[in-house]
Amino acid sequence: MNHINVVIAGAAGQGVQSAGDILGKTLLRLGYQVFIAQDYQSRVRGGHNFISVRFSDEPLAAPVRRADYLLALNEESVGLRLGELAPEGLAFCLEAAKGSRTDQRLRALPDSVGPEAARGEKFAAVKLLSMLFAGLGFKPEVLAGSVKKIFEGRLKPELLRANLDAVAAVAAFIEAKDVRAPAFQPKAAARGGPSAGRLLVSGNDAVSLGMAAAGAGVYAGYPMTPSTSILNTLGTAGPRLGIAVEQAEDEIAALNIAIGGSYAGVRSACGSSGAGLSLMAESIGLAGITETPVVIYDGQRAGPAIGMATRTEQSDLLPLVHSSHGEFPRAVISPADHYDSFYLAAEAFNIADAWQVPVFFVNDLGQAGSERSVEEYDLSRVRVDRGLFAPEPAGTAMLARYAVTESGVSPRAVPALSNWLVSCDSHEHDENGRLTDDKDNRVRQQAKRMRKLAGMAASFPGPEILNPGKPDCLLAWGSTVGPLLEAVNMRGAAFSVAVFRYLFPLDPEKVRRALAGFSRLITVEQNYTGQLGKLLAMDCGLRMHSHLGKYDGRNLTVEDALELLGSLEGGKP
Amino acid sequence: MTCNYDFHQPQWCPGCGNFDLLVCVKDALCGANLGPRDFIMVTGIGQASKLGFSVKCNLFNGLHGRALPLATGVNMANHKVKLISVSGDGDYYAEGGNHFIHAARRNLNIAVFAGDNRVYGLTKGQASPTASPEFTTPIHPEGVGGKPLNPALLALASGATFVARSFTGNKEELTGLMKQAIAHRGFALVDIMSPCITFNKTNTFGWFKQRAKPVGPEHDASSFDAAVSLVSREQETIPTGLLYKADRPVYSDRFSALKGEALARLAPAYSPDRVKPLFEKYK
Repeated sequence: MNHINVVIAGAAGQGVQSAGDILGKTLLRLGYQVFIAQDYQSRVRGGHNFISVRFSDEPLAAPVRRADYLLALNEESVGLRLGELAPEGLAFCLEAAKGSRTDQRLRALPDSVGPEAARGEKFAAVKLLSMLFAGLGFKPEVLAGSVKKIFEGRLKPELLRANLDAVAAVAAFIEAKDVRAPAFQPKAAARGGPSAGRLLVSGNDAVSLGMAAAGAGVYAGYPMTPSTSILNTLGTAGPRLGIAVEQAEDEIAALNIAIGGSYAGVRSACGSSGAGLSLMAESIGLAGITETPVVIYDGQRAGPAIGMATRTEQSDLLPLVHSSHGEFPRAVISPADHYDSFYLAAEAFNIADAWQVPVFFVNDLGQAGSERSVEEYDLSRVRVDRGLFAPEPAGTAMLARYAVTESGVSPRAVPALSNWLVSCDSHEHDENGRLTDDKDNRVRQQAKRMRKLAGMAASFPGPEILNPGKPDCLLAWGSTVGPLLEAVNMRGAAFSVAVFRYLFPLDPEKVRRALAGFSRLITVEQNYTGQLGKLLAMDCGLRMHSHLGKYDGRNLTVEDALELLGSLEGGKP
Repeated sequence: MTCNYDFHQPQWCPGCGNFDLLVCVKDALCGANLGPRDFIMVTGIGQASKLGFSVKCNLFNGLHGRALPLATGVNMANHKVKLISVSGDGDYYAEGGNHFIHAARRNLNIAVFAGDNRVYGLTKGQASPTASPEFTTPIHPEGVGGKPLNPALLALASGATFVARSFTGNKEELTGLMKQAIAHRGFALVDIMSPCITFNKTNTFGWFKQRAKPVGPEHDASSFDAAVSLVSREQETIPTGLLYKADRPVYSDRFSALKGEALARLAPAYSPDRVKPLFEKYK
């Protein structure tokens, strides 16, 4: 695929993130497709962080490792990242960061270039961006426009002026031999507007928008990477959209808030990462036995315990399928890209309401934090179905909240807004929601609840099979799908790929049918044990040939996926 | 109004303080003009929490210690409905201690009735956070030690805007305080000395009766300092009655989204189109 990959590297606090924002937004507005991946450490200052901004004329769903340009904000970054620069690539840095290096690809900018008011490391990000833009043959006015748009009001006028003057001055510094216009042009903008109708969103942005579109009115969480940005986005939008958002005292409170909100009649959700989900475990069972619809977001990261706070993993699948003691129905769904992150997040509420169960919406840090350009989400595609409600009685009456039904779903009502009295109980309870340990009642109620599993599984689509009909099928979910598909297509599409979005409950027949006829089934997951394969063995009686696992905590790149495929072709998975 | 909240017969030991608690809760609800559908009761786990099953009403019986965050969610969805929580000392002050602090800090609009018998009844006789240092159990044969948690002081320190203490042996006072707590706009705690006749042979009905003494008119319940001083003083008597009352914005006041109708009425009509303006930021 035609693309250019720009790596911006530096210490935390040096402006890596801001430079990435400026570059990403500018490319979006020029009409390019963009994918931005983050690689950062859990610290506020120092260390080594980098961000990869990849752009193309085609939609992008994965990061790549190899850089065409390196913008090194400090000397350490030159040393650490030069190895991934293409032989014909270019690295830009300030003269002070060059050290004694003589690499032919390095272009060091003397501090004297640009206005007096823009000297020193503080201006490195904007100056190196200006070098990049000149190198790409883009007009400096384009970058200046973005800098102005992003920083106007955030920076003092004189500082903004210094930045804008630096952009103009530095652009002239690039020699003609270093100017290489991209070999591809943005496709004609279909819908016009500043970004050709596209949005540049992170996975978490998409999830937040999807939740809001679904009509969520209560959201709670405790700050934890990589789920915090959903709290921020919904919290900030809350006053405007009518969403009550709370930073709970802990994750147990967060889920109980969501359960309370849902009981009182509002679509409610909470979010955290694996460790927070572990804390929530007992309350997950509370949602289960009280049959309270609730959406629980899990941004998976490398565990166990604190693990690696800013590193990705896909190791919560089996824990979530089994989370909490006892047996109760729940659903686990996972977005395979930034479109799912929006549409499936909205759909999660329909599943929760239709089946009155906790629904886990499972993302991973890699996808949660990566940004990509998407066609503006089509809000007419968002369906809102609140499920079964009991018809209003004439006078105050006790609702048979847990009436035994064939589907297992009982009509509900909103307490205090209806004449029904609604009683929910964490104990085993009778049809009216009052505690009892009667054995016949237990069997009736437990069987009623558990019947939902078969109904849900039947209502869920099976895996999507891409490149069907190849001898081998690779099974993937979450952020693995994007890079894997690109790698497979680079290898002549020699593999089929099964994309799992609806992970639990599974309809064994549907899954077996979709995966029938392949000589080998191979899971590709960012974990050690191959959790999807184990789930398929357990629930569908399927046996995997092998598991290609990656668990170093780094985003899966196209090159990583190619290496995994290579190991398969070499016969040593 | 005529009141009938009668529901399942409670299953406590004969003579349990919870029977008196139940009578007072029903009287207070009736006195506050709250019919069965006009409020939501949120309970936890423990003998006192079982009271909810004997009141005909909207009830969410949650997990041990987690009634208050659940109530917080109810309040976010419907800040118009009166919330009442009943549970015990183990639930509010041990398992749910963190939630108690934060619900008080937020000044959640809720009446919290804590049946405080200083012992775990449901699990048959372990020490609660309010048990005295000399209290012995099979787990603590040489006494619990430490210092008993002081619920009134904790509530004051945490930001509760209504703090009262009473005794199930003084039903008139208790019912009156419950009524005031229900009428209060904010986090209202009534810590209720309630004898467990089976598992607490130390803090008996007589023990509580001897010590529970209504505060006199000299106590200024509008003074935080006076309340703190009163409840932290080590003394032979335990002052009962209204200890502290203040007006402070309630939890839901911090949300402009909760200024008018309850979200429970508004949110079901939300259209997906309302997120469209948010897209601009990402262009």
